[in-house]
Amino acid sequence: MNGDIPSNGPANGSAPNGNGHTLAVHVRGVTKTFGKGEAAVQALKGVDFDVRQGELLMIVGPSGCGKTTLLSVIAGTLEFENGEIDVFGSSLHSLKPREVTAFRKRTVGFIFQQFNLIPTLSLVENVSVPLLINGVKRREAEERSAAMLERLGLKGREHKLPTEFSGGQQQRVAIARALVHEPRMVICDEPTSALDKDTGQQIMEQLRDIARHPERCVIVVTHDNRVFKYADRMTEMEDGRVQRVHDVAARGDRRFDTSFGVTSDG
Amino acid sequence: MFRLALKMLLGDRAKYAMLVGGLGFATLLMMQQSAVFVGLMSWTTSHLRNIRAPIWVGDTKVEQANEVKAMRDTEVNRVRSVAGVEWAVPLFFTILQSRLTDGNFKPVMVVGLDTTTLIGRPALMLKGRLADVRLPNAVIIDDLAVQRLSIGRKKPLDVGDQFEINDKEARIVGICKAERHFFGYPYIFTTFDQARLFSPKSRKMLSLVLASPKPGLSAAKVAEAIHQETGLAAYDENRFGWATIWWYVRNTGIPVSFGTTILLGFIVGIVICGQTFYLFVVDNLRHLGALKAMGAGNLTIAAMLLVQAFTVGCIGFGFGAGLTAAFGFAVLDKGMPPFLLPWQLPVFTFVVVMLICMFAALLGILRIWKVEPAIVFRG
Ligand SMILES: Nc1ncnc2c1ncn2[C@@H]1O[C@H](COP(=O)(O)OP(=O)(O)OP(=O)(O)O)[C@@H](O)[C@H]1O
Ligand SMILES: [Mg+2]
Repeated sequence: MNGDIPSNGPANGSAPNGNGHTLAVHVRGVTKTFGKGEAAVQALKGVDFDVRQGELLMIVGPSGCGKTTLLSVIAGTLEFENGEIDVFGSSLHSLKPREVTAFRKRTVGFIFQQFNLIPTLSLVENVSVPLLINGVKRREAEERSAAMLERLGLKGREHKLPTEFSGGQQQRVAIARALVHEPRMVICDEPTSALDKDTGQQIMEQLRDIARHPERCVIVVTHDNRVFKYADRMTEMEDGRVQRVHDVAARGDRRFDTSFGVTSDG
Repeated sequence: MFRLALKMLLGDRAKYAMLVGGLGFATLLMMQQSAVFVGLMSWTTSHLRNIRAPIWVGDTKVEQANEVKAMRDTEVNRVRSVAGVEWAVPLFFTILQSRLTDGNFKPVMVVGLDTTTLIGRPALMLKGRLADVRLPNAVIIDDLAVQRLSIGRKKPLDVGDQFEINDKEARIVGICKAERHFFGYPYIFTTFDQARLFSPKSRKMLSLVLASPKPGLSAAKVAEAIHQETGLAAYDENRFGWATIWWYVRNTGIPVSFGTTILLGFIVGIVICGQTFYLFVVDNLRHLGALKAMGAGNLTIAAMLLVQAFTVGCIGFGFGAGLTAAFGFAVLDKGMPPFLLPWQLPVFTFVVVMLICMFAALLGILRIWKVEPAIVFRG
């Protein structure tokens, strides 16, 4: 699929694909094996897929098919063996470890299933972490973090500890943390699976709004079919490969048929 | 980042208390025990500060200040005749029994000073006149003697009172201050001749010769000259002090017993601190992994852990040093147990505590260094 895309990735952080979209992420032939010898598990068996700028892309598929592994290599948190990954102009396959760290610091915002907020730090301190890692001074970092919390409806609670809040509120803090340094790619692994239905919908709405930005993309791995409707496109994985890509938005409505009745090559 | 690192550790009350407590306790053990050890060692050289002379000459076999091997009286003149010696005087030193009013006996250290010069006299007189020591049967006793020998009396011993040394009458003409001696016996100062009258007769009755170099000459050089010419053991004050301390270190179990406790403090520190800090890192692996994912490098994480470890190290040290000082003040008046805290001890203990913390931080750093940031995506 998508054979028309040149394999030497985009030079400048953006490249048009065959359909006139500007690509944010461009993945070709990526393999990843865990362990050695008899115990080796090949989690990615040559993955090809793209993420466009300004879209929310979902990765779905059965348990163990390699979704988290794919997300990890795109985010630069896991090394891979073969293939090429370009993310907004950074060619991960040719970067040194130190450069990959710098890439994550600048380009990626993370949202985790278990929120992963540090319980002994206040909301504003938690949110300011990516800014501090990027070398922003504490005062400025906390001002920007407070502003971000305010945008996510957590004004006036900046100095409370995360444990005083519900799961949905904690996940909103995590979103604030993922966005505060204005990364171009936001990565979420199962962001709603620890939340009830309504809260999950609210979080997804927020993520979709975040994705509506011409120079950004949001990638969400999920099992939760209640939130499929928020995707622009869905990538269906199976056994270490991308099987199908569904263009959800192209159907004109945002409700997605969970039977995967529609097939599209993106 | 470092501020947040500290908040992370301080927020974990139980581990923080454990770390500070463990390090404080280790500091207390190490510092207090070494202070008592140093105090005890300083007691072995009290003679040098209570009697005071630039050069000490004794029998050939004398190795340390508390050893008495009697010499013939004529040795004083041999020392005097060595070139470079300004003066040399005899000193008699012995341990005798003193009888208390209640019938008990207490040992005392009798120091007989050269009658004309009184060289070796006590540094500080609390009561009475030094010169009166030349009167018949006269003695000057230290404050410890007042305490020890007054048992059974209605009033504590004072100037003018009499007591018995080795069955002979002694009349107190003065009370002085003396540094406590390792043996724990009180000092009784008297004249050379009087001291010999108190003691049982024997053929050789010279214990030590105190001497001084001529102006401009070094005590060490002159002591060496005395040794060369007379064959006697001759030390300058400083060397005699160190020779004494080393003698006790080599020939007694004192360093081993203190060393064991100090080592125990070190082990307690390293075990409690190492284990607690490692647990802290393991407990926070998810969060530290998340920091790595968000782009904090290994060096940043390592620096955070070092800041955490050194901070608890400083607080724990302060806590333990405070307790040690409190102990010191509590015993200072009584003088028991011995306690001496030269500045080197806190510095040394601080360095050891920092090493313990560095070790603990290294354990944590090794643990986190290899962690793939991708672990944060795993349940
Ligand atoms: N660190 C690892 N060591 C060994 N095998 C691993 C490791 N991580 C993942 N795997 C294996 O790789 C395969 C893909 O795992 P991955 O976590 O990417 O799947 P997933 O699609 O995210 O599954 P789930 O939906 O359950 O989260 C699985 O067979 C898994 O057991
Ligand atoms: Mg997964």
